Amino acid sequence: MAASLLRTKNDPSEMLPKTGENCLYLGASIGGTVSHIHDCICGSGNHHKGHILAVDISPRMMRDLVQLCDKRPGIVPLLADARSITELSPFINKKVDWFHQDLSVADQAKTFVKISEKFLKSGGVGLLSLKGASERVSEGDIKKRFENAEKILKDSRLRIIERIDLRGLEEHHILFNCRME
Amino acid sequence: MQVHYDWRLARILNDDGVVIDEILWNSSKSISSVAKRLFELKKGRLSNEAKILFDRFDNVKIHPQGHLDDPNWPEYSNEERELFEKALINMAKLGVAESSGNIDRRMDMLVSSANEIRSAWTTSESRCIEWIGLFLTELNLEIKRKNIIETVAFCDTIQEVATSLETVSPLHTPAHNEWSTMKKHCESVIGLSNRMSDHEDSIRLLALEYIPSLSALLGPLGASKLVVLAGSRERLARMPSGSLQVLGADAAMAAHRNGAPPPKHGSVLFSMPQVSKSPRWVRGKVARYIAGKASIAVRIDHFDGKPWGESEIEEIFKEVKTIIDKFPNPPKRK
Repeated sequence: MAASLLRTKNDPSEMLPKTGENCLYLGASIGGTVSHIHDCICGSGNHHKGHILAVDISPRMMRDLVQLCDKRPGIVPLLADARSITELSPFINKKVDWFHQDLSVADQAKTFVKISEKFLKSGGVGLLSLKGASERVSEGDIKKRFENAEKILKDSRLRIIERIDLRGLEEHHILFNCRME
Repeated sequence: MQVHYDWRLARILNDDGVVIDEILWNSSKSISSVAKRLFELKKGRLSNEAKILFDRFDNVKIHPQGHLDDPNWPEYSNEERELFEKALINMAKLGVAESSGNIDRRMDMLVSSANEIRSAWTTSESRCIEWIGLFLTELNLEIKRKNIIETVAFCDTIQEVATSLETVSPLHTPAHNEWSTMKKHCESVIGLSNRMSDHEDSIRLLALEYIPSLSALLGPLGASKLVVLAGSRERLARMPSGSLQVLGADAAMAAHRNGAPPPKHGSVLFSMPQVSKSPRWVRGKVARYIAGKASIAVRIDHFDGKPWGESEIEEIFKEVKTIIDKFPNPPKRK
């Protein structure tokens, strides 16, 4: 996320959520990035009334994330499979303004499109941190994997604003900055 | 008509989006009761209110995401929002607590910890042997290797060690502190050996309970290593036997992707004497056969089949012998 803010050719603030917005973060881990997003949308004590649903599948990560949530009102932890619409939908009361997916699994672009089309509001910001090394080797080399992912995004209701290559800061990573139509 | 619902209420809407009926969740709301409801919804179940509305009308569909496209769906009140957030924190804490009931995770801790102890033991044991060998220059480090460390741990001086191991006294002796450090290091190696035995006993007990058929075939230690390498018993049970055959052969698989021949077996299958003690030209065939049987064994264990006993294992090993006997000579080079 930080690398993409440094590398973007557009206004970096366009990629970040605004104060008081409703956000979804898949692959929250122990909440490092989530805490920075919390600074943007909630402020201390959540005086901006923002909300982040931070999802992770690992109980080990959730253990630390829960402690962060105790300290930072506005972040809500969810131990669930981020790829499952059924597991996520009871926890999303209205479509979100900002969505970031940071999962180390195969089919990241397909998951991103599936989740965005269900939970991201029209005009909402969708950021996909794509990890080439997590995609299937059978898809081809890293370049080919990125191309496949980009094609999946282009064929969806998402509009790609920028493809940010993070080489040098994060190897084999690309961030797609998208908007929902 | 479609039922829209979340944890607070359910509504039924006609095709024009007009609300026909509505049921609110009226019970007293506590963090635990909200968490319980959300937990059921997360499993894909309907709330009681949604079920009642679904049964009350004919030709009713359920909104697949509860209510998300409904523009008139009520937002959370401050109270509801607070309750919801606290319930989610509770659910996450419960989920973390429940993870200790996961046998796969416990097996992973035991096996990984045993691997680390083995690695530490190998390094420290070699160091101790070399250290003693520096002083006792006439001592045969190969033949006496098994006794050296214990002897040092139980002796008070290096001369005493030399006498006990029937070798000549050292020309130079270590300083008092140096000797004491060396002795303590040897004692720690013995401690590591004991801890290793404890770990292996625990792994055996767990594996015999959790993966009895696979343990009968590969031995409990090998079987549990396979489960850990696969990630869980379920993942191992769903894995093709060809993948199971090469579990633990990561480097060889990486080389294979760059054009090298495929590995015949992973580290766990190679540790079986039926594979490692066979002639090299049948190892692949034996590994493939055992991997196939291991794949069936773990499926029996995971999907509650009748565990294999001695007779099934005997039959498998008889077949292994037939394979080995069928190929007494190496294949001709092409």
